[in-house]
Amino acid sequence: MKRLGIISLFVLLFIGFITIWHFSYKQGLEEAYVPIVKEESITLIPSEQGVFRRSEHALDYAKMPIDEKHQRSLDDYYDNRAFHGAPPSIPHEINGERNMGGISCLKCHENGGYVSKLSAYAPVTPHPEMVNCRQCHVPENTETLFRDSNFEKAPAPLAGINNALMGSPPVIPHQIQMRENCLSCHAGPSAPKEIRVSHPERINCRQCHVPNNKEVKDIGIFKRDNNE
Amino acid sequence: MPIKSYLAHPLEGKKTELIKAISDISQCEVIPAENEDVVIIVTETNTKDEEEKLKEQLEAIGSLKLLALVSGFNTPIK
Amino acid sequence: MDNSLTNRRSFIKKMAMLSAMAAAATMFPGIMFASEQEEGLPKGKDLDWKKTPCRFCGVGCGVLVGIENGKAVAVKGDPKSPVNKGLCCVKGYHSVISIYGKDRLTHPWVKKNGKYVKTTMKEALDLIASKMQTTIKEHGKDSVSIYGSGQWTIPDGYVASKLFKGCIGTNNVEANARLCMASAVTGFMTSFGIDEPMGCYDDIDHANAFILWGNNMAEMHPVLFSRILDQRQKRGVKIIDFATRTTRTSMASDKSIIFKPQTDLAVANAICYEIINNGWVNKSFVEKHCNFKKGLTDMGYGLEDNYKFKDKPEGINFEEFKTFLEDYSPEKVEKLSGVSAKDIKYMAAYYGDPNVKVMSLWCMGPNQHTRGTWMNNLIYNIHLLTGKISTPGNSPFSLTGQPSACGTVREVGTLTHKLPHGVVMNKKHREHAAHIWDVPVENIPSKPTYHTVEMFRALDRGDIRFMWIQVTNPMVTMPKLKRYRDATKKEGRFIVVSDIYPTPTTDIADVILPSAMWIEREGMYGNSERRTQQFDQLIDPPGEAMSDTWQLVEVAKRLGFEKQFYYKEENHIEEIYNEYRRHHEGKKHNMAPYEVLKSQPGAQWPYVDGKSTKWRFNAEYDPACSNGKDFHFYGKPDGKAIIWQRPYEPAPEEPDNEYPFWLCTGRVIEHWHTGSMTRRIPVLHKAVPHAYVELNPEQAKQMQINTGDKVKLTSRRGSVVLPASVSERGVPVKNSVFVPFFDENLLINDITLDAFCPISKQPDYKKCAVKVEKV
Repeated sequence: MKRLGIISLFVLLFIGFITIWHFSYKQGLEEAYVPIVKEESITLIPSEQGVFRRSEHALDYAKMPIDEKHQRSLDDYYDNRAFHGAPPSIPHEINGERNMGGISCLKCHENGGYVSKLSAYAPVTPHPEMVNCRQCHVPENTETLFRDSNFEKAPAPLAGINNALMGSPPVIPHQIQMRENCLSCHAGPSAPKEIRVSHPERINCRQCHVPNNKEVKDIGIFKRDNNE
Repeated sequence: MPIKSYLAHPLEGKKTELIKAISDISQCEVIPAENEDVVIIVTETNTKDEEEKLKEQLEAIGSLKLLALVSGFNTPIK
Repeated sequence: MDNSLTNRRSFIKKMAMLSAMAAAATMFPGIMFASEQEEGLPKGKDLDWKKTPCRFCGVGCGVLVGIENGKAVAVKGDPKSPVNKGLCCVKGYHSVISIYGKDRLTHPWVKKNGKYVKTTMKEALDLIASKMQTTIKEHGKDSVSIYGSGQWTIPDGYVASKLFKGCIGTNNVEANARLCMASAVTGFMTSFGIDEPMGCYDDIDHANAFILWGNNMAEMHPVLFSRILDQRQKRGVKIIDFATRTTRTSMASDKSIIFKPQTDLAVANAICYEIINNGWVNKSFVEKHCNFKKGLTDMGYGLEDNYKFKDKPEGINFEEFKTFLEDYSPEKVEKLSGVSAKDIKYMAAYYGDPNVKVMSLWCMGPNQHTRGTWMNNLIYNIHLLTGKISTPGNSPFSLTGQPSACGTVREVGTLTHKLPHGVVMNKKHREHAAHIWDVPVENIPSKPTYHTVEMFRALDRGDIRFMWIQVTNPMVTMPKLKRYRDATKKEGRFIVVSDIYPTPTTDIADVILPSAMWIEREGMYGNSERRTQQFDQLIDPPGEAMSDTWQLVEVAKRLGFEKQFYYKEENHIEEIYNEYRRHHEGKKHNMAPYEVLKSQPGAQWPYVDGKSTKWRFNAEYDPACSNGKDFHFYGKPDGKAIIWQRPYEPAPEEPDNEYPFWLCTGRVIEHWHTGSMTRRIPVLHKAVPHAYVELNPEQAKQMQINTGDKVKLTSRRGSVVLPASVSERGVPVKNSVFVPFFDENLLINDITLDAFCPISKQPDYKKCAVKVEKV
């Protein structure tokens, strides 16, 4: 009897070994598979979303005092732009010629602030998501020209004259693309004084101000042909 | 040179009286609320004594129920 | 706030004042200080500033119009108006420019032998009256009709109703608010027995969460949305946008949840399921103040002529309601609606949390819906189950689209079945109206005739031979437009159109009457929060233009009803309003007296003992509550509101293989409805010069369509070619397109479907099937 018991024990162990080895072999044959999760595409409408950016600071903008001595005017604004709509050139020294911009520009230009070395407020960029800054913004390294040029700088739209009626909200005379965020240029101490708004706390700017920037040709007043 | 702002609550139905009484006092700006029975008073005086006198004047107004101080600033003359 | 400061002292004074204002705002939500806004306003030369409600949407902002030398030259918001507190939107600020378009109608035109001939007002009115008389004699009283508008002032609607229902004796009185708010009305009537929201705009200052059901509030009710944004800055409220496409509102909200069209019915039921199964039901409220009922299902969609439907309500109990909701668990609804169960539970959690005050806001999404009444009922169900109703901040608020859809169409009752007080089917109500109108009670017919879609169908069939259209543009706004346009051109149909500019509707008219617009005549409007606002005549109308009210009075006198239309021209508006007030006497609906309306920016009804009732049905705020309990839903005879069991049913025309896209239509902030006014304002026209079709960016890329490319939309009813718009103002989901309807040169309603909600008869402009091809 004892002999039968020992033999059956070893037989059981052997069967167990075969089963487990077989199972493990089968598992090893399966390929490692990581299911692909389709990323939810977040729908962004840049022209609609931009208006609400920085709105969490809107109340702060409303309470900010205005520094009359160090604010800039629209003339200053257009001084370092070749034409209305051009990217401004960089008027100050940059450190690090090899970097493209990114955090070294955004550390001052994302939220602005007073810079005593330049006696001015850093302008806030309306498009901080574009990090390759130096693709469009270049420094001025010399004052002289190579050859003279006939390029005429067309007059930029003036502020204060494009209200339809007295007291109406002025229209937006510039393109919205890359300037979706109103508060960055129209509020705060770095805003040119002619375009600084009196009511930055009203965040839904495009409720009252609409773009009228199609400077192609005067579409004229809408008038129907009567079929009389 | 204290500058203080208060919320003033008039007695029942005496809002217009209160506004008139306060506007008669100089050194005071009164801003009534359109749809509630409360007015804001902003006072500006030259010395602490004048401030004390002004406060007593305000508290003596008959139509005033409660004068609550909201904020106060002391701005020394430079 | 004007911040031009010159020294430290003024700055500190300003800070002191601001802190006091902030302190006041925490104690009294909704407090206003007028001088703060008046400072920032332009100090012009000496203009005369007069108050009026804005001409456009149902928010009903108070504006001040600057008059100089008899012309309106400027607009500013009225700082004293509790609605907008001095702020307007782009349409409001430029509204007065719409009065001065170059092609303004100044004289009547009568069509003779296919050509329009200029006539005098007297001749035109004589012609109309005589044509009405002959039509009635030849074809009976029900062959004449009037189609008015939610932009009719209160006196306009009142005299129209009196003339047609009281004097002539036909119920063929309808208005374009049928296409805009009918489902909201039937929602109120079925759930509460009495029309119009129980809360008011002050709820915005108290609520903690705002759930927007299918409406692009940032563009459509912009000033109210700005009030909500303001609350978010000051109190940190949450805004949830529940919609079928991504819009400006989605960008501004804290969370945007997209659902498949028509499945809002299922999601609302899923929220009720969550509320019941998580034990968030306010049991005492439901027991004391609510009954449960269910109605007929599988009702059809009204696509056939002479479609008739009458609902058969049946009482049920809470257990049956709970069993019904088993089909609507969030997991089951997730598959149907595309809204994840997590998001459904997220929304339900706001409703369920007893410490969160929730305001639900909706407009055309649930209303222009083939089950619009059901959708309104379902939103009320959610608020009734949790008891979040009629208290400050807890408010299911049905927003109105037009400036006076509430004031004129719903309150005066310019619909086929309504009277100023009550309905035509009820004998007592007819006697009450007949007594005030001074007509024999037999004149008022007891059976309603046609609702708007049926009325135009009757015009097509020839059952209606005469239609007077005032202040609306049905030749741009009727769904399945081609049929109804052809109908108006048939022989034997006489159409009179009162309007201010030539439109596609005046194109098919037999007589065109020039109307006086907005502030060129005195009038009253009633906005979404039950506020009636009056405006004086501020400028003179051009040429022979005459107010719609006086046009109707003149024709009524010519038809022989001088006795009932006794009004004197100098103060007829006041006389008409005073007569109208008599219909609504009583604590439940009293209208404010004329002097009160003239002196302040409006008053809300019920106006009892010199005070506007802000929250109705709540015994603490509403003097009309009489049953001694804390809530009294006095619209229903037993004082209890009704929670309706309403299922999900699919739309009549869903996308299939042949027509795989959903077509949704709507508006943009710059243009009002059919654009006849706003397109003549250069600023607005230049901002959005023409209509377009919005496509999903991924799909547009696949189909190689860029912004500006021509795209052809075809449905079973026709086709339209439009320029594409990709990722500009709004982004629809895949297999879905959106077209704004303001452009009369790109008539999108040629391809929409005239299916309607069987209970409310309101058409569904948001859902039909189209195919999209690049041209």
